[in-house]
Amino acid sequence: MQRGLIQDSSQNPQKQQRDRINRVFARAVVVPTVIALALIAVLLLDTLYDTVSVQVVEVTETSGKSFALGQALTADQVIRLELAAQGKSEQEIAAFMSDPDEMRIFRLRNRVELMWATQDGPLRWVVSSLDDTRIKNLSLIEGLRQWNELKQSLNENQQLRLNPWLDYSFLTRDPSRNPISAGLRVALFGTIWLLTMTLLISIPIGVGTAIYLEEYAPKNRLTRFIEVNLRNLAGVPSIVFGLLGLAVFVRGMQLGPTLMAAALTMALLIMPTISIAAREALRSVPDSMRLAAYALGATKWQMISKVVLPATIPGVATGVILAAARAIGEAAPLLMVGAAAYVAFIPRGPLSEYTVLPVQIYLWISANLSEFANTAAAGIVVLLLTLGGLYALAFWVRRKYRVEW
Amino acid sequence: MNTSTSTTWASKKPGRSPGERLVEAILFATSLVSVLTTAAVIVVLFSETFQFFLRVPLTEFLFAPEWTPLFAEPRYGIGALLAGTFLFTAIGLVIAIPLGLLTAAYLAEYAPHEQSIRVKGIMELLEGVPTVVFGYFALLFLTPILQNLIPGLNLFNPISAGLVLGFAILPYISNVASDAMMAVPRSLREAAYALGATKFEVVTKVVFPAAVSGIVAAIILATSRAVGETMIAAIAAGQRPILTLDPRETIATMTSYIVQAATGDQPAGSLASRALFSVGATLFLLTLGFNILAQRIVERYRERYE
Amino acid sequence: MVQEVAIGHETVRWEPVPAEDAVVQVQNLNLFYGKHQALYNVSVNFPRNKITAIIGPSGCGKSTLLRSLNRMNDLVPGVRLEGKVIYEGVDIYDTQVDPVEVRRHIGMVFQKPNPFPKTIFENVVFGLRLQGQKTGLDEVAQRALERAALWDEVKDKLGEIALRLSGGQQQRLCIARAIATEPPLLLLDEPTSALDPIATERIESLLIELKQHYSLVIVTHNMQQAARIADRTVFMHLGVLIEEGPTNQMFTNPRDKRTEAYITGRFG
Ligand SMILES: Nc1ncnc2c1ncn2[C@@H]1O[C@H](COP(=O)(O)OP(=O)(O)O)[C@@H](O)[C@H]1O
Ligand SMILES: [Mg+2]
Repeated sequence: MQRGLIQDSSQNPQKQQRDRINRVFARAVVVPTVIALALIAVLLLDTLYDTVSVQVVEVTETSGKSFALGQALTADQVIRLELAAQGKSEQEIAAFMSDPDEMRIFRLRNRVELMWATQDGPLRWVVSSLDDTRIKNLSLIEGLRQWNELKQSLNENQQLRLNPWLDYSFLTRDPSRNPISAGLRVALFGTIWLLTMTLLISIPIGVGTAIYLEEYAPKNRLTRFIEVNLRNLAGVPSIVFGLLGLAVFVRGMQLGPTLMAAALTMALLIMPTISIAAREALRSVPDSMRLAAYALGATKWQMISKVVLPATIPGVATGVILAAARAIGEAAPLLMVGAAAYVAFIPRGPLSEYTVLPVQIYLWISANLSEFANTAAAGIVVLLLTLGGLYALAFWVRRKYRVEW
Repeated sequence: MNTSTSTTWASKKPGRSPGERLVEAILFATSLVSVLTTAAVIVVLFSETFQFFLRVPLTEFLFAPEWTPLFAEPRYGIGALLAGTFLFTAIGLVIAIPLGLLTAAYLAEYAPHEQSIRVKGIMELLEGVPTVVFGYFALLFLTPILQNLIPGLNLFNPISAGLVLGFAILPYISNVASDAMMAVPRSLREAAYALGATKFEVVTKVVFPAAVSGIVAAIILATSRAVGETMIAAIAAGQRPILTLDPRETIATMTSYIVQAATGDQPAGSLASRALFSVGATLFLLTLGFNILAQRIVERYRERYE
Repeated sequence: MVQEVAIGHETVRWEPVPAEDAVVQVQNLNLFYGKHQALYNVSVNFPRNKITAIIGPSGCGKSTLLRSLNRMNDLVPGVRLEGKVIYEGVDIYDTQVDPVEVRRHIGMVFQKPNPFPKTIFENVVFGLRLQGQKTGLDEVAQRALERAALWDEVKDKLGEIALRLSGGQQQRLCIARAIATEPPLLLLDEPTSALDPIATERIESLLIELKQHYSLVIVTHNMQQAARIADRTVFMHLGVLIEEGPTNQMFTNPRDKRTEAYITGRFG
């Protein structure tokens, strides 16, 4: 190996091979990220796409008429138009609408919806009823492609609709065995209740554990055992927590399929996450702060509560928000502790029955009816938006309150 | 030093007042919750499982070809559920291992700083997607496409469930493996470059081997997640426990069976309910074993470079 | 102020190395880490089959100069370089030249021993394997270890993981690894600074041995070391090459007052 060889070797086929592999690999390492990003994008688009469908509906109870956006703005105005279209007189309508019972029943049996389009044109109000027969439920593209044929083939009291499932009424309606009147209200309230209760239980325990381990625990076997245990608990599948909740809370403590049983189960599930985040936050507080507090004559708990804990709030808050996000998306353990039951009412207290967003979505997915796929998709969009909000919040907290020691 | 005065004003040692001691006791108690949780898990799972084995012989559990506790003639062969879990997990790993390791290599060796933050963000996003959403996607998006490509593919099948699972566990592999790769000292990379290695050779011949224990740990950890993953399996892989290794068939994983059993009605104390807990115990032991193994390995490689 | 004086400085040269005897010629080299300039217009010829020491106070650019000789600086993001480094007639910074190829011709040994977590044998033959060599590895490994004066100590445990060796043995292993591919030029960046005096002495005598086969450039901040082993010495200060020449002449009779101050231990 002597002079001049440096340039010659670029002609060497073996070297060319090595260079080629090197270049290919440098590109290959980016590929998974691109695929992952594409998967997320496709997942989001597919879900959004599924929240819309084209339907042919045969009406029985209602007029089957649609009303322009210019004619009505509120649900009540639409109901008035609908009643008129059904042939009721002014007095009848006034009497009907001032009778709370009539209106309650009407609202339970019917749904006022703004369709993106009907055979009468874009953005029309319709009133759908539980007894409507849905003859066709087509995906957006399929439906738009066949739009004209569908329109041609409509019978007397059939209606063609471009239905956005995710509307205000979807959020405010209770669950139903009928997709058109199925809504998220109960699941939303259930999620809020459950999350609140879960956090109320798990934050004190999680943070308490962290404080004990970081500030008090002697370096001994027991401490080491608690630490290892905490880490292992974080790796236990969530469904196993569900079995624990089923045996201990639902059956053992006889709480039944209630919010309380669910909250206790979820609290145990996310406690390790909170605890680990809190420990990290505690560890990031420099010892000089602790020494300074002691030097001013603070007791240990004064030092912790007045100096250390306040400094950890952003870190703990971030950890809690991320744990909350995890809790909101969990379905498996809750299926064990009774969330799968059909619940028609919003919870009234910790001992109420309940359901939550992901469980409601799971039930819709497994309902095996194509329109429930639409409501499941709409539910997923709501769930993802909620999670997105939480992640944004966590990100903001981390940004805003980041302390550099 | 005048001892007599110092004892009067310093008689109360800091941190030893009753209030202080109470606080410490409360904090200690909270830290025991996690220990109690583990204890409760073990007691619950294994007492029910013990009851189960009083009625069902171990040989039945290990060797019966089916898992059908609710049939008139029930069979209790865990093998059927293990085979389903294996199919689901294996397909997930086939996706997650190569993609995860490439991502780890990208994060540790190639990505400029801002880019690696972005990639980590994408991985966090993937980690944050609720698994029911993945299940929905597998069943309603992926399966219809795959049914056109693979003849004989059932609506519920471990292929599309496993493919999506692969993405759900990818972040675990890429995070742990990239940490392990970054822990490889710079001096080793320089030594390899100085010997005329290309970047590819540095990564594959020096960094990978030096980080191999961390990489193995990452894979074991991801396996544990996959075995315990429930909703994707319950929604898209199916809930039909039969002993098969044909990935086009509808199968049941341990987790999807547990979901199926618990959403049906099984009175406490019934044999079917005990059978459910015996599956839970198997799942728990399996994932715990994986997790402990992964931790052991990670601790070993930490020692090496410290 | 000092900086300005230094930048305009005309390098003091004793008995300059003629181009035909130089293994590497550095010509008007300026090197920047981002905005920070680390080398100012450095020109120097390194002779074949001799030991040249680069000395100077910490942070003066010794490592930077050394690492420009085998393009290791390419691995630092944001590095920019002007000037030429001509190795055996080829400018290694020519766009036609592959840095990977450069490093195969120019070996390097680092400050801290950095054996791979592989067996002793695999460490030594690593470079050969990169080049696709599959046969005769045993002989090459033995010769490299012999030249690195390590053979007798490790010949019975070639299959052991290299991390178990002592620091001095590890550094000799790194030298063996670097010379196994027979690079005509070997760069060493403070190779003994992490070692005890006995290990240092072994390596110094080894380097003197290696002169027969290789050209060596060694960075050191140990003046005695330079005096003991180097044929020529290059003195740097604040990124500028102040003075260069045969070691004994420069050490006994430095012309620049900064060289004199450094050599007599007044700063550094
Ligand atoms: N990777 C780098 N990035 C930025 N600046 C660097 C880098 N390496 C060295 N420097 C700077 O270049 C100058 C010379 O450094 P170096 O060559 O390592 O000095 P020496 O080896 O003589 O101690 C120093 O000012 C140092 O701070
Ligand atoms: Mg240096």
